[in-house]
Amino acid sequence: MDFAEPEDWKRIRHEAEKFTAQYVTDAMIRDELESGDGVSRTLMKAMGERGWIAPTWPVEEGGAGLDPFQAVVVADTIRQAGGPTIGPGTTMLSANAVRALGSTELKAEILPGVASGDTLICLGYTEPEGGSDIFACRTKATRDGDEWVINGQKMFTTFAHLADYCFLLTRSDPDSYGPSGITMFLVPMDTAGISIQAVRTMGYERTNIVFYNDVRVGDAHRVGDVHEGLRVMRVALEAEQNIAPASRTAQLFRTACSWAEQTLGPEGLRMIDDDVVRERLARLAIDAEVAQLLGLRAAFLEQIGGKPGPHAALFGPESYVAWSSEMVDMVGPHAMVGWNDPETAEGGIFEWHYRSAVASTIYGGSSEVLRSLIAEQRLGLPRSRPRVDQPST
Amino acid sequence: VNLGLNEEQHATREIFANLFAKEVPADRVRRAEPLGHDVDLWRLVVSTGVLGVAVAESSGGGGGGLLELALIAEEAGRRLAPVPIAEPAATTRLLAAIEADELLIHALDGSTIVSLAPRQTPLAMQLLPDGAVADIVLAVESGRVVAVTRPPNIRLIPNMGSLPLARWNDVDAVNGEVLASGPVALRHFHRALDEVRVLRAAALVGLAHEAIEIGARYAKERRAFGVPIGTYQGVAHPLADAVVAADGAQLLVWKACWALDAEDPQGPALASMALLFAGRTALQAAQHSLHLHGGYGFMAEYDIQLYYRRAKAWLTVFTDPGREIHVLADRRFGPGRLSRTEMLDLSS
Repeated sequence: MDFAEPEDWKRIRHEAEKFTAQYVTDAMIRDELESGDGVSRTLMKAMGERGWIAPTWPVEEGGAGLDPFQAVVVADTIRQAGGPTIGPGTTMLSANAVRALGSTELKAEILPGVASGDTLICLGYTEPEGGSDIFACRTKATRDGDEWVINGQKMFTTFAHLADYCFLLTRSDPDSYGPSGITMFLVPMDTAGISIQAVRTMGYERTNIVFYNDVRVGDAHRVGDVHEGLRVMRVALEAEQNIAPASRTAQLFRTACSWAEQTLGPEGLRMIDDDVVRERLARLAIDAEVAQLLGLRAAFLEQIGGKPGPHAALFGPESYVAWSSEMVDMVGPHAMVGWNDPETAEGGIFEWHYRSAVASTIYGGSSEVLRSLIAEQRLGLPRSRPRVDQPST
Repeated sequence: VNLGLNEEQHATREIFANLFAKEVPADRVRRAEPLGHDVDLWRLVVSTGVLGVAVAESSGGGGGGLLELALIAEEAGRRLAPVPIAEPAATTRLLAAIEADELLIHALDGSTIVSLAPRQTPLAMQLLPDGAVADIVLAVESGRVVAVTRPPNIRLIPNMGSLPLARWNDVDAVNGEVLASGPVALRHFHRALDEVRVLRAAALVGLAHEAIEIGARYAKERRAFGVPIGTYQGVAHPLADAVVAADGAQLLVWKACWALDAEDPQGPALASMALLFAGRTALQAAQHSLHLHGGYGFMAEYDIQLYYRRAKAWLTVFTDPGREIHVLADRRFGPGRLSRTEMLDLSS
């Protein structure tokens, strides 16, 4: 048992801090807050040069040969500095599925550009009537010789307007329903028939609705076997549920401590010396520590080939939502002011966390789905989501 | 970073998991009530060397660390083993640290049960956690670590946790035998209290995991509206939350063990975190598990009520969690203006 931070993490954190000092500029942070894109091509390119887009891939594939722990250190350092990391992070979910199950040709086409930071891939899973039930997919893929014709609509395709490809979930067998009869594609986003509608969110983000009208995709852009998309999705979904980016709860704790140390209360007392503040921060410290330990365990089990389960993906976001709310109470009205007004506290970060956190219990798998997975896989409880839908017509 | 147990630790966990599973069925827990102490089980546990597992070999122990003890405490907690482990095991380490060699020998062979007094109130006013069974209790008095011998004719005090509580009327720590004095001795006593925090937390982790298991087993068997009640998310999801919290609490315990043994400065704060989080987790797990039994959970013959009562008692007998959160704040952020810091005053 050893919880000490190894020297190589410190070295890599130091490298990543030097990197963010150079590349994550105030202008980049401001651009991201204004656009809400979650992507900076400049940053991706610079990360790619260091092998940090696909940090765990071997150097000869364009990665940096890091272990999962070291990879988390890099991603967390860049994210903590305010650099947009949604783009590369999301790209890697599908890139890893392509790397595991794609054809040799497809891998050769896609993976080098992903690793170098040139290729951006968005996710096309969710549909207007889908949500957590991602296999309630109605977007159709119909074979036509060497091509497929795709028709349908996808929700919440973040950075679709910037992406090179969409990792698209389609129903290829019209007589199927649920998780069978699904086929996955990497659709080039400049293909005719794709139209994109912007959606603004409460959390300063821009996402999109994407319409696919007679979009023609070559069979070479299919990922995995026909009607066997479930296998591909398993790889991508497990990667998402097991991924353990350093906890936002811990980030919130650090910010709150810095606020409490630097802010004076009405009696000239530092907030960190105020019992009401101390008790809250101590309770937050516990949840932040637990969130981090569960994430650390996920990375550890991943490294030794175990299945960590979605513990960190459940506890992290749930605690983050609760504390993003309580920190606004503690800091007061200044925490309700956004980043673009001088009256804001800590650069608007409390306001931003409160606005953003609620989405985190949804997008990586909703908390309810994750709880059901734990109840079924760990405790052997019966499945709570009977599939009662009919073949799509 | 390594979050895995080594081979010996795996073996320790397995041996004690099997031992407590075999020796401590629920009816043995019930038979030990209300005293909460099973003399035969105590002899068996002592004979396995539990009290010396984490004492240096040069002092007559097994040479293991706090983690080995925590693994054993977790397994004992899982079966609600009616024997005192946290305080006596931390106490043997304390006796070794302050070189109270003679008492240590008797403590290790189990002929004398030595425990400690966790609270700051005068000794004669405390309901001592092991008061009904301990022969000697260690306490701090005027900057010295003293050993106080059990007075005759103590009264056992039945309680909701079925703990061997007793009050040692008419004793005064001033008359205790001085084992050590000075700041180093007091630091060792505080270390022992932190180890009790961690070991109580470990026991609560075991309790939580088994409470979840009991609930899950029942939820798979019991049917309502035509399906097993575990199908309902209102039943299943709080169990899933409890699984995550119990795993998190175990990680906190392990990290606290590592930090204390490695003399890492985070050690004491982690000990407080482990105690608070494990306590909260055990309570929530036992509460939900009892609740999903419906009226049956309220019946004395169902085991879950044994867990529910102890989930509360095992923490609160040591300290009020509402006070412990301020101990944690002092440890994490430095002493506060209205600091209640430690339960014992280091400066005295």
